[in-house]
Amino acid sequence: MTVRICIPWPDKRLRTPAAQVGEITDETRAIWDDMIETMDAMPGVGLAAPQIGVMLQLAVVDASQKRNKRIRMANPQVLEASARMNIHEEASPNLPGVAARISRPRAVSVRYMNENGVITRGEFVGLEATSVQHQIDHLAGRMYFDNLSKVKRDMLLRRAKKLNS
Amino acid sequence: MSILPILMWPDPRLAETCAPIDQITPEIETLAADMLETMYAAPGRGLAGPQVGAMMRIFVMDTGWKEGKSDPMVCINPMIQEIGEARADTQEGCLSIPGVSAMVNRPTQVQMVWTGLDGGRYVQSFQGFAAVCAQHELDHLDGVVTFDHLDTDTRDALMAEYAAA
Repeated sequence: MTVRICIPWPDKRLRTPAAQVGEITDETRAIWDDMIETMDAMPGVGLAAPQIGVMLQLAVVDASQKRNKRIRMANPQVLEASARMNIHEEASPNLPGVAARISRPRAVSVRYMNENGVITRGEFVGLEATSVQHQIDHLAGRMYFDNLSKVKRDMLLRRAKKLNS
Repeated sequence: MSILPILMWPDPRLAETCAPIDQITPEIETLAADMLETMYAAPGRGLAGPQVGAMMRIFVMDTGWKEGKSDPMVCINPMIQEIGEARADTQEGCLSIPGVSAMVNRPTQVQMVWTGLDGGRYVQSFQGFAAVCAQHELDHLDGVVTFDHLDTDTRDALMAEYAAA
């Protein structure tokens, strides 16, 4: 397992939708393992493959205190979302130093392929739900700040540019 | 009314996503009545459309009838709207996977919204066994069975047990 490098924004790959995964192979499992190691090193509650430059619909999430609830997902897709929203401060290792409060559905039902190559349905709530949605954004070439108003988004990007220049 | 044959796993129809129901026609009413009769005869406490080869988003459920508190429900186009924080393991059986039961981890509380046979929109919170049952039936509408929630070793062992049964 290796900690991978998170490609810096505005890398084009962070704007590109990732490709569907056909089947789970040893290679897929190796990418997931690297992603978990990279997520733990941040430390973060989730990571999507495009963040390390791998253009596949793969994500990992672990929102547990003990960091022992690993969720490996391929091709995740939100089926149902709660009407109640949750606000959480979100950030990205691809754009260090800045963060924003993002409002998302508090709970989501998600269809995904798990580590056995089996398509399953998962119910997620709270921080786990926020992270799953954040990762799904990445897989579609979206960043968390795309959920902000244009003014707030531009402010955040200007601040990040200053910090990282 | 008639008792319909129940499909047995691994019938491929049990792995398919079902289509929403646009209109409650007399055929749907008959299907719902047949599904309830089939469920009681099985005997079971929940039955989803695909289990009788009806590839539509409908399930029936009556969690209390075995204890003399019958409350038949027909849920059309059901969706989970809210999910509670707590999760629990429950031993789940399935009419399409007779002879074995699987320990599945799910939220203990969900709020579901669905259309009734009368065309009305229903919202209800479920907990305990009813929450498990509702999620189990909803899984069927997305082509997911209990096996699909298990880790590789448990899944392989249980499938072997099922094959031998």
